[in-house]
Amino acid sequence: MQFEWTTFILEILNFLVLLWILQRFLYKPITAMLEARQLQTKTEINKAQVMLLEADSLRVEYEQKLLDWSLEQDESRRHLGEELLQLRREGLDSLKNSFDVEISKLNAQNQALMVAKQTLLVQEAASNAYSNVSLMLQRITSLDLTLKIVDVLLEDLLQLSDSQRVTLELAVNTPGFDGNVLLLSAHPLDEGTCLRINTALCEVTGKLLFINNKVDDQLIAGVRVIVGECELNANLADELAFFRRQENHV
Amino acid sequence: MSHVATASKNLFKIGEIGISPTIVTTWGVMLLFILIVCFWNLRIVRYGYFKTAIEGIFITIEAAVAEVLPSVMVRRVLPFVATIWLFVLLSNLIGLIPELHAPTSDLSATTALAVLVFLSTHWFGIREHGLKQHLKHYIEPSFILLPFHIISELTRTLALAIRLFGNMMSLEMASLLVVAIAGFLVPIPLLMLHVIEAVVQAYIFGMLALIYIAGALESQSFISTKESTV
Repeated sequence: MQFEWTTFILEILNFLVLLWILQRFLYKPITAMLEARQLQTKTEINKAQVMLLEADSLRVEYEQKLLDWSLEQDESRRHLGEELLQLRREGLDSLKNSFDVEISKLNAQNQALMVAKQTLLVQEAASNAYSNVSLMLQRITSLDLTLKIVDVLLEDLLQLSDSQRVTLELAVNTPGFDGNVLLLSAHPLDEGTCLRINTALCEVTGKLLFINNKVDDQLIAGVRVIVGECELNANLADELAFFRRQENHV
Repeated sequence: MSHVATASKNLFKIGEIGISPTIVTTWGVMLLFILIVCFWNLRIVRYGYFKTAIEGIFITIEAAVAEVLPSVMVRRVLPFVATIWLFVLLSNLIGLIPELHAPTSDLSATTALAVLVFLSTHWFGIREHGLKQHLKHYIEPSFILLPFHIISELTRTLALAIRLFGNMMSLEMASLLVVAIAGFLVPIPLLMLHVIEAVVQAYIFGMLALIYIAGALESQSFISTKESTV
């Protein structure tokens, strides 16, 4: 157990030299390597954390997008349902309207057809009635009736209105009128009756006229006087025809 | 006994300076470290078991230091403490080789290491807090305690030196006595004990050095904290 200053000092020096060598060539490289590794690890961890954050962000974003899409889908589905319902309503309304229009058209057509049919029936009935009346009148007619109608004609001639009288005068005064008057009668007339008619016409027109009598059994009873372009009807056939025309107009 | 006896004899002289076996063994230990360092720094050596082992030892020491010191001080103190640990460990273990003398069984070497620990404690304290603040803690909490602080510093340094020297020297002597008495195979368990003892003593020496340094650093922190609170 001896103490030597030389060994003591040399040990200190040796230790310091060893400390410097180890510090310079071992500790520093190892420390640098560890720090580089730690830095690399930190960098990798940071990258991983950034990636994780990005992944989380993307996940949240995509979840939000999915949610938005889902909401949009629901909204679109609801909107589509409403549109379909609206279209259905509109279609039904349109169909109903068109049906109503068609029904009204058909009703109108039906009504028109019925009216037409009714009119035709009325006309046919009237025609048949007139025909039957005509046949019946032809069976019951006689010369006396014709003469009575001639009397009525003569009375009417004397009571003509001014316009009727002017019309008659214009017919008589028409250029080319030769004064011959055609007298159609249902029955043959005697001379006296023809003269009476001629006299009455001459008085009314103020002209000299000549009666030419012919028999026309279509007249049933009565006469038809043709003065130029003017006709004086006083017979049952024309009366019935008049009523038939009136009925047709109605 | 011959080892212990020859430990104080000079093997040769460089000029007027006598070189003892302790110094030569220390140089051998240093050479071993230099070889390890060279091997580490060779670029042709791939990263394998060797480099992993060195790195593992370094990380283990760093973790041990980090448990005692604040994290900002670890890298500053680590080279000294790691060198203490590695040097003492290898110096202890070198005694297992026949005809070689463990430097740590020489009082001059252990005293040198203890003095280095003593100086490093003040070096780190002054470097961290300044001379005035570092010396101030010797009169805290009262000026009366200054002698006790000084005695404490000296005795713990002395204890550090004597502890290592005493353990290693006694271990070597015990080994030699067993070998001398029992013969060839009997000392093997004792040699295993030598290995354990070498590791334990290296750990104790390094840990005490670390605790002394931490004490110097933390006592200043305590004073600073106390002053700031007052």
